[in-house]
Amino acid sequence: MSTIHPNLTMRELLEISPGAQRALFRRYHIGGCSSCGFRPDETLQQVCERNENLPVDEVVAYIEASHEEDLKIQIAPGDLNELLKSGQSLKLIDIRTREEFETAPLPGAELFTQEMMQESLMKWDRAGLIVFFDHQGRRSMDAAAYFIGHGFSNVKSLRGGIDAWSQEVDSSVPRYRLEA
Amino acid sequence: MSESNPTDPTNLEQRIQDAIKNPKNLGEMEGADAVGTVGSADCGDMLRMWVKFTEKDGKKVIDKATFQTFGCETAIAVASVATELVAGKTVEEALSMSGQDLSAPLGALPPMKIHCAQLVEGALRSALSPEGTEPQAEAPKAAPLSPSLFDQLNAGTEGKVKIILDK
Repeated sequence: MSTIHPNLTMRELLEISPGAQRALFRRYHIGGCSSCGFRPDETLQQVCERNENLPVDEVVAYIEASHEEDLKIQIAPGDLNELLKSGQSLKLIDIRTREEFETAPLPGAELFTQEMMQESLMKWDRAGLIVFFDHQGRRSMDAAAYFIGHGFSNVKSLRGGIDAWSQEVDSSVPRYRLEA
Repeated sequence: MSESNPTDPTNLEQRIQDAIKNPKNLGEMEGADAVGTVGSADCGDMLRMWVKFTEKDGKKVIDKATFQTFGCETAIAVASVATELVAGKTVEEALSMSGQDLSAPLGALPPMKIHCAQLVEGALRSALSPEGTEPQAEAPKAAPLSPSLFDQLNAGTEGKVKIILDK
């Protein structure tokens, strides 16, 4: 029996299924930015109703399958390395802080900026390969889903982030941790 | 030019895509007479508009309006068409335009994207307020939202933590 039901608040839903927000944006353009966002105390049913009466059962089924969808977005560090060595054309986008970007760089990567955000939506090839990465591969999943939800068809997130890259591909890239 | 149905969501998507591929009046304007901003770049939903006036038939009219936004692509599309629409209008005429008027060339926006047009309306009102730079009307804000994917995308653009290198 499904643990996801229409009367869950969005807060409860995201606790049960952290990938739900990515799934909602990929398919229904919900939760990507504040224009299409939702409140934590809204129920899934309410969010569906105010978004053109989306069929909530279909939405629940899609969220339940979202883990599989998340896996499809990911690219393993070794696979990315092979692509880079083969000369495959791609955009490698680092969404970490500038300090992290400079401390543990991945050669060929560009640091994500607000200006890049604007340029990307207007000028980038929506069929081109884009690989996002962060420290450990969490926020980069959200970044990839955001771009998929905007019609980019070939977007990946580096599984495990730069930390996995350091362990699996290039140990000269320093590993680090973050402290508040 | 198109004879397509303006309420067809497929056509809307196409018009938005067309508008953002070739946005009009994008970027900061040197020597602008007024500037208006709604939202904040920190939360991703910022839109800023610059306006330059000219005299036409003894009336002060908008010569040109430009914009910059870190909002979503619908906001870019609406701002692009809106800046074209307001050119040649008096302040009063421009202020009388609603978000729906400003986004009209794109066709009817679905409920979930109406906020984007309100963002553009808010920035225009901010720029055209009597004081010139003081907001006259903010784009309506909903109750606090859960962090969006866009927030996550931008969470790394500011240094908030220390980096400790592993041995």
